[in-house]
Amino acid sequence: MPLDIDALYRQAQDMIRDLPEAGVDPQLDEAQRYLCRADPQLLQQKLLARERAMAKIPWLVAAPVDTLAGVYPAPPPFDSYTVVAADGSPIPPDRHSPVRYFVVNFGHVEITYGARPHAEIASELQLSYTEEDLYFDPQDKRIPIEGTRLGIHMSVEEMVALRGAARDAQPPAVALRDGSLILWQLQSRDEDRDLCAAYLERFLSALEALRQQAIPVASYVSYPGSHDVANSLRLMLCDYPDGCRRCPQATDGQRLCRFIGTLVDRQLFQGLLSPGERSDVFESQSAILSQYGAHRVQFFYLDVGGEIARVEAPLWVMEDPEMRDAVHGVVYDQCQRSAQYPPYPAVLIEAHEAAVISTGDRQVVEEMMARLLASKGYPYLRSAKDHSKRSRGV
Amino acid sequence: MAEPGQARIGEIVETESARFVAESFELHRPPALGQLVYAPGDGSTCLYAVVCYGTTASPDPGRRAVRRSTDEVFDQAVYDEHPQLELMLRTEFTARLVGYVDATRVYHYLPPQPPALHYSVYACEADQVARFTERLTYLRSLLDLPEIAPEQLLAAHIREVYRLRGQDRDWLSRAAREVAGLLKSDYERLMTVLYGIEP
Repeated sequence: MPLDIDALYRQAQDMIRDLPEAGVDPQLDEAQRYLCRADPQLLQQKLLARERAMAKIPWLVAAPVDTLAGVYPAPPPFDSYTVVAADGSPIPPDRHSPVRYFVVNFGHVEITYGARPHAEIASELQLSYTEEDLYFDPQDKRIPIEGTRLGIHMSVEEMVALRGAARDAQPPAVALRDGSLILWQLQSRDEDRDLCAAYLERFLSALEALRQQAIPVASYVSYPGSHDVANSLRLMLCDYPDGCRRCPQATDGQRLCRFIGTLVDRQLFQGLLSPGERSDVFESQSAILSQYGAHRVQFFYLDVGGEIARVEAPLWVMEDPEMRDAVHGVVYDQCQRSAQYPPYPAVLIEAHEAAVISTGDRQVVEEMMARLLASKGYPYLRSAKDHSKRSRGV
Repeated sequence: MAEPGQARIGEIVETESARFVAESFELHRPPALGQLVYAPGDGSTCLYAVVCYGTTASPDPGRRAVRRSTDEVFDQAVYDEHPQLELMLRTEFTARLVGYVDATRVYHYLPPQPPALHYSVYACEADQVARFTERLTYLRSLLDLPEIAPEQLLAAHIREVYRLRGQDRDWLSRAAREVAGLLKSDYERLMTVLYGIEP
């Protein structure tokens, strides 16, 4: 049935009626000023006090490695460097298929810049159909790899693919991926502990292999929605121990704290950073990171000229000034080579393109699998509901 | 069947009764406009075609070229700055079938079947060109093409053949007279060709 656009328009007018006019919010200015003068030692003390009191902080905070509002320009560009990226794209399991399977297409790209420019783009398809591929612990728990678990599987396998792609990379080289390095899904109480442990081990092994090869690895988050640093400011401002719900909002500090609760970190750093500049390095306090060991994830924000991006890397990268600067320099350089605005790392664009499975390809796969299965006597029958959506008659 | 030792210049990626499209093995350089090329047919038959269009683009229709040059980095330097670009582009050319040659004869009409998909395309050598273009009846099949203005293609083709025939003035005059007959009702088009083939 065609959408009632008139009704939507009326409701949308209600939606925008109560919005304040957009413009520079003076409170944002105040929040940024607070960030600049905030004392990192105060934050460390508060974090320590909470830890000792076993008091739960209701929000995720960022612990500064050094200061909070430092600004660091992009290091001078390398004469030549190699950047490697990998990405994956799935065709998830179809409950209609008589034989369960799923497909993942991995793309990986290696680009070398400088006196001897060179590029390699490749993709590799994996069909998962054995019991070991389709289920975690097939003999006993038989947990199907689908939904969120397929997402975890993809994150882990993309890191493994990235490690494989970087195997022959000549230094100076950086391995880059899209999305976060923090496998926060593994914290979920809904997931089996053994499954999480197995996936985390595989992920960390790939990171460890990159560490052994001394290739810095980092991840790039475009338009990040994280608010760890904002939450740190709230922790520092907070002087009402009885919980936010009962906070009287009586003081300037309390009101600023409430306002900062509506911000995300990129808003804080917008205006503080100029193109090419990065923020201080922060350590994420995500619970899962306690199991990361030497690969604990730290991050900085980077103005790539058009947006503030979040760049994450393991501790062993961020602690080493050369590696940290290599990541900073390469990520910014990649953004400058981007042909779009706002910029996005060129190598990540190509890794995505190499991995992506088009709608046409999906149809080809479905038809091919249906024919193959039918040839062995397994017809691909769809549910009545699904059929009603596909062939719609009057 | 191809002549032994001849280099392949492309692979057919679209084929139909009157034309084929091939991917050029050399990026940015399709064969010259108007050049005579051939693809193998059945047995010892060679299917001849005239190159009528060339293009370089991404094979993915969703990806258009965007500006990448700066004041300091332009032309070939763009490719050095973005080494992945060459992997993402391909050059294709379209060729109109104009006849075929078997062991005994030259035929100036469309072959019964177009060439096979994924088969190779070769540039015609001087002796092949001379034999095929001895008679000019095939020129009329270049008059009505969607890809390019026919007068431009005719001029380009005649220049190409003239060169490969070793500046054969006699042939050039015959070609000019043939074109005059074909375009006698369109003076402007005719003059465009004649100006284009002046030696």
